[in-house]
Amino acid sequence: MSSDKDIMIEAVDVNKEYRRAGAIIRALADVNLKIRSGEFAIIQGPTGCGKSTLLNVLSGLDLPDTGRIIFDGENIARATEDRLSRLRRQKIGFVFQDFNLVNTLTAIENVEAVLWPTVLRQKEIENRAISALRDVDLLDRKDHYPVQMSGGEKQRCGIARAIIHRPRVILADEPTGNLDPESEKQVMDLLKKINREMETTILLVTHRDLSSFGDKVILMDNGKITKIK
Amino acid sequence: MWRKAILLSLREKKVFTVFTLIYTTLIFLTSLFIDIGLEGTFGELAWYFVIIFFGTSLFLSMLYAWILVSRKRRVWATFKCIGYTNKDILVLVSGMIFFTTLVGFFIVIEVLFHFAAVIAYVNQIEAINIPLTILVDLLPVIATSAIFIFVQIIAFILAYRKVLKVRPIIALKKVGE
Repeated sequence: MSSDKDIMIEAVDVNKEYRRAGAIIRALADVNLKIRSGEFAIIQGPTGCGKSTLLNVLSGLDLPDTGRIIFDGENIARATEDRLSRLRRQKIGFVFQDFNLVNTLTAIENVEAVLWPTVLRQKEIENRAISALRDVDLLDRKDHYPVQMSGGEKQRCGIARAIIHRPRVILADEPTGNLDPESEKQVMDLLKKINREMETTILLVTHRDLSSFGDKVILMDNGKITKIK
Repeated sequence: MWRKAILLSLREKKVFTVFTLIYTTLIFLTSLFIDIGLEGTFGELAWYFVIIFFGTSLFLSMLYAWILVSRKRRVWATFKCIGYTNKDILVLVSGMIFFTTLVGFFIVIEVLFHFAAVIAYVNQIEAINIPLTILVDLLPVIATSAIFIFVQIIAFILAYRKVLKVRPIIALKKVGE
């Protein structure tokens, strides 16, 4: 039995509409969802079903039109931009489909960048970055630039960046969308390992069938949750 | 964060080199014409040139701020996703602009010192009678630095307004979308 204390992210009656080319598109329709702490949840559905919008809303990157988003006990649906930035810095790690590494920075510098605005000393930041790169088995590539790395390595670097500050939640938007099947398995195994060993809650959005990796699979279509497995 | 701004500047080799050279030229010319203006050699004409260089530096600083924010929107959006506030990004952008100007100043001061040194050296070795002239006094260079720092503040304001407009959600969009 899970209590409310175990709930890491909760969406309550969330609605979101877009206006595109004069037409109103209902991206999220009365979405209710609970993600427990330490859970590996996968949001799955076809392109345009609203899964990325849901991820954006749950992370505070986008605001819902109506409804509440409770993140670790705090309603973030109307939080200020600075508050959301701090929340992301302390509690959220992002993994992007296009990796979003800075091309002019090396792998270790890309990972360290998360902690640049903090009060930590450079040596401490470097130690943490080395530890994160070791966790993703990329330490031997620490001085390489993104252009010198393969897609799988770039994504592992992106995952190291997402875990350097030991976040409570990792949000991954199609993290294997640009990877070959072998790299996809490596990345998913890595995320599963982080989920188990660090007890990090993972919320992953995908259009592929990756349900075997998740504790919970949320199926979406037309802005609605159609099934939770 | 200032150190990281320097790191980011130096890694943006092309933009950094081009703007450093432009700033160096502008700082030198502005200092030179302030010097000439103070001496009264060309009358009011020298001050017109100072105003032109001042306007050009204002335009260039704003262009540099615009390039740094607009060309790297996806980078700043990603930084916002990983927890950077608008202020954090502004520190990086303004640090990059300020560092470029500072390097320009050091180059101008270095060139002026070496110019005087070379003249003194040639006079001593070759016994040629070149009058020992200082190309630009230190005072005009300091005055130019004050003007350029004021101009940077205007560029920082522009950069901040542009940084505010960068939405972190851009980072999640697919490349080319």
